[in-house]
Amino acid sequence: MTPKFSLKNLHKTFGTHSVLRGINLEIFPGESLVIIGGSGTGKSVLFKCLLGLMQADSGVLEMDGKNILKENAQENEDRLKDIGVVFQGSALFDSLTVWENVAFRLLYAERRGRQESKKIALQKLAAVGLKKNVADLYPSEISGGMARRVALARAIASQPQVLFFDEPTSGLDPIFSSTINQLIKKSVKELGVTALTITHDMTSARVIGDRIAVLYEGKIIWCGPAKDINKSDNPYVQQFIQGRPD
Amino acid sequence: MTWIFENLGRVFLAFVATTGRLFLFLLQALNQGLRPPYYGRQILRQIWEIGYLSLPVVGLTALFTGMVLALQSYTGFSRFNAENAIANVVVLSMTRELGPVLAGLMVAGRIGAAMAAEIGTMRVTEQIDALTTLSTNPQKYLIMPRLFAGITMLPFLVVVADIIGIFGGYCVSVYRLGFNASLYLEQTLNFVEIQDVTSGLIKAAVFGFIISLMGCYHGFTSKGGAQGVGKATTHAVVSASILILVANYILTSLLFEQGVS
Repeated sequence: MTPKFSLKNLHKTFGTHSVLRGINLEIFPGESLVIIGGSGTGKSVLFKCLLGLMQADSGVLEMDGKNILKENAQENEDRLKDIGVVFQGSALFDSLTVWENVAFRLLYAERRGRQESKKIALQKLAAVGLKKNVADLYPSEISGGMARRVALARAIASQPQVLFFDEPTSGLDPIFSSTINQLIKKSVKELGVTALTITHDMTSARVIGDRIAVLYEGKIIWCGPAKDINKSDNPYVQQFIQGRPD
Repeated sequence: MTWIFENLGRVFLAFVATTGRLFLFLLQALNQGLRPPYYGRQILRQIWEIGYLSLPVVGLTALFTGMVLALQSYTGFSRFNAENAIANVVVLSMTRELGPVLAGLMVAGRIGAAMAAEIGTMRVTEQIDALTTLSTNPQKYLIMPRLFAGITMLPFLVVVADIIGIFGGYCVSVYRLGFNASLYLEQTLNFVEIQDVTSGLIKAAVFGFIISLMGCYHGFTSKGGAQGVGKATTHAVVSASILILVANYILTSLLFEQGVS
C-alpha cells in the first residue's frame, strides 16, 4: 500500500540546535497515527513541517508520493485543501462568529454562499455535539472545551482526506478530554480519513491511535500498534508511558 | 574603545537586516495581495476601522489645533499689526502640514497599535497558521485590506481634519478675537490654493501606507507570547511615527522642488 505520508531521514536545525535528526516514518491511508513525546522533543516542529508551515532542511517528505519539500506556495495551498487541522489552542478567529469560523474555508477559499456555508456549519456543529444557539456567538463567549469542538467542526467542514491534531486535549479537564478523544475517534472513523495526532497525553494516544510513534531527541525511537506500546523494552518509552521522573 | 564600534556595527547590521526583512515582507504582500481573490468584507471592515472610527480622535485633534493656531498667530502677529494674516496662516498650516501630520500621528497611535496587536495576537495564538491551513493566504486576507484601507482612508481623514481645523481657527478668530466672520471666510477661500490641499493629500496617502505597513509588519513578525505582542505594538507606533516625520520632510522637499508646495 502506498503511504499517505512518507518521511525519510528528515532533518531540521535551528542555528546550532538540531531538532529533527533523521525522522523515518510512514502513515498509511485510513489509519490514525499518534506521535507522542515529551516537551522539546520536536513534535511541533515535525507537525509544522508536515503542514508546510515550516521547511525541513533535508530528507524526503512525501504526501501521496509527491515530495512536498519542493512544492511552491500555490502547491502547498492546493495540498492543504485536503487537510483539516485542529490547533493546540483551537486558533479560532476572534473577529468571526462560531459558524463563520466553522465555514471559513467554504466562505473564503471555496467562495460558497453564506446561506449554504452556514447550513453546512450548523450540521458540523451538531456533529461535534454543539447546539444551534452557539453558532452566532464569538469565540470569546464560549468555553475552552467548546472552542476545541468548534475547531474540530472547522477541520471537518470541507470533508478533508487528512486530519491533523496538535495536542487536542491540552488544557482540558479529564471529562472534556475524554469527550474530545471520542469525538476525534468518531470523526476519523466516519469520514474514513487519515489522522495524525501530536500529543503527550497517553490516554489520548491509546484512545485515538491505531499506531503510536514515540519521538525522542528528534528521532522516532519506537513505532507500533497502540496496544503493543506497553510491551516496548525501550527505557524512554517505558518512562514516558509510566510518567516516571528522571 | 573597540566596544563602541562593535555596538555601532551591531546596531547598523540589525538596522540593515530589519530594513531588508521589511522590504521582503512588502514585496510578498504586494505579490500575493494584488492577485485575486480579494476579500471585500475585510477591506470594508478596515475602511470602517481606519476611516470611520478614527474620525473622533482626528476631528478633536484638528479642532483644538486650529483653535490654538489662531490664538498663537494672533499673539505673534499683533506685535507688528499683521492680525489679518491669521486666516491665511490657519488655512495654510492646516492643509499643508498640521492636517496630514497630526492626523497621521494620531492614526499611527490608534490604528498602528491596533493592527500590530491584532495581527500579533493572531500570530502567537496560531491563527495565522490556521489561515494558511484553511487555504487562505494571510498576506491577501490580513495585509492587503489594511494597506488598501490605510492608503485610501488617511486622505479622507485629512480632508475632514483640514475642514475642522479651519473651523476651529474661525471660531476663535470670530467669537473670541472679534474678527468679521464673512471677511475671515472670504480671506480663507481666496488664499487657499488647490495645490495646498493636494500636497496634504499626497502626504496623507503616504502616511497611511507607512502606518499600515508598520502595524502589519510588526504584528506579523511578532513572537514570544503577550510580551512579544506588546513589543510589536510599541515598535509599530514608534517606527510609524518616526517614519511619518521623516517622510513629511522628504515629501515637503520634493513637492517644494516641483513647485507644488
